[in-house]
Amino acid sequence: MSRKLAVVFLAMLVLAGAMGLKTAVALHGDGSVIMANGAGCPAPPTPWK
Amino acid sequence: MLGPSEYIFWLLGTLCEAGVVVCALKKGAFRRYLFLNLYMAASVVVSICRYEVMTHSGFTSQAYLYFYYYSDAVLTILLYFSLTSLYAHVFGELQASRLVRLGAILLLGGTAIFSYAVVQESSAKMITHFVVELSQNLYFVGLVLTYLLWAAITKMRETRAQLVQLVLSLGLYFSLFAANYALRNLYPSLSSLCIALLPVFGFVLPLAWAYAFWRLSTDERIAPARLALVPR
Repeated sequence: MSRKLAVVFLAMLVLAGAMGLKTAVALHGDGSVIMANGAGCPAPPTPWK
Repeated sequence: MLGPSEYIFWLLGTLCEAGVVVCALKKGAFRRYLFLNLYMAASVVVSICRYEVMTHSGFTSQAYLYFYYYSDAVLTILLYFSLTSLYAHVFGELQASRLVRLGAILLLGGTAIFSYAVVQESSAKMITHFVVELSQNLYFVGLVLTYLLWAAITKMRETRAQLVQLVLSLGLYFSLFAANYALRNLYPSLSSLCIALLPVFGFVLPLAWAYAFWRLSTDERIAPARLALVPR
């Protein structure tokens, strides 16, 4: 398998893992979101609530 | 309406972010870690703009709300590129920079397509929904990528102290927010405590990066335990 194909495979694997983790973490959630950028900056409620 | 403590936290956070860029400039690490510094500089600019929008339109206004979420997506994309630039540093000696770039673009594209697939059913505010969804998904992709980079650093016995400090602090930062989010969802009774902790967590990354740029030189190496061990 070429190195490029390995990179494509790894990228898809990371994406699947990340989305699986997100689903597991947010399974019982109320639709709130993570707001991690901007130290100390107050976050407003999500736009579609 | 925000209280004085929230304004103080916000101001201190912005100052810490500016401090990272100042430390990097002072120690000559700005260009070496260009994306990290661009991310911090962009965070400062976004903080100032958010303050301007908030004072003109109000904290609960639509203008602040939309500006907040759109600017957050831009910052998350910059943070993602900061992380991929750390990959390029770690794998640079293996001549794998092109592959890292290819992987980063593929993963960003894949995350965007996945986010679109999730929100395409929601007709109202679809673009906003997409922007927030992309930001959230990229955050979790960043979390997984950081752990993989931790593993790579351990496996490759990376010894550049500054690089290790930058990656470790990024992992800690991602982990704190993810753990907080998970706790909030699993135990709604802890929600108010978790939300109160968020501004404190926001200081972790700027402080750790400022320390890395200020106290650790680019050539400084850490001695792995097996080398530091002195036989009797």
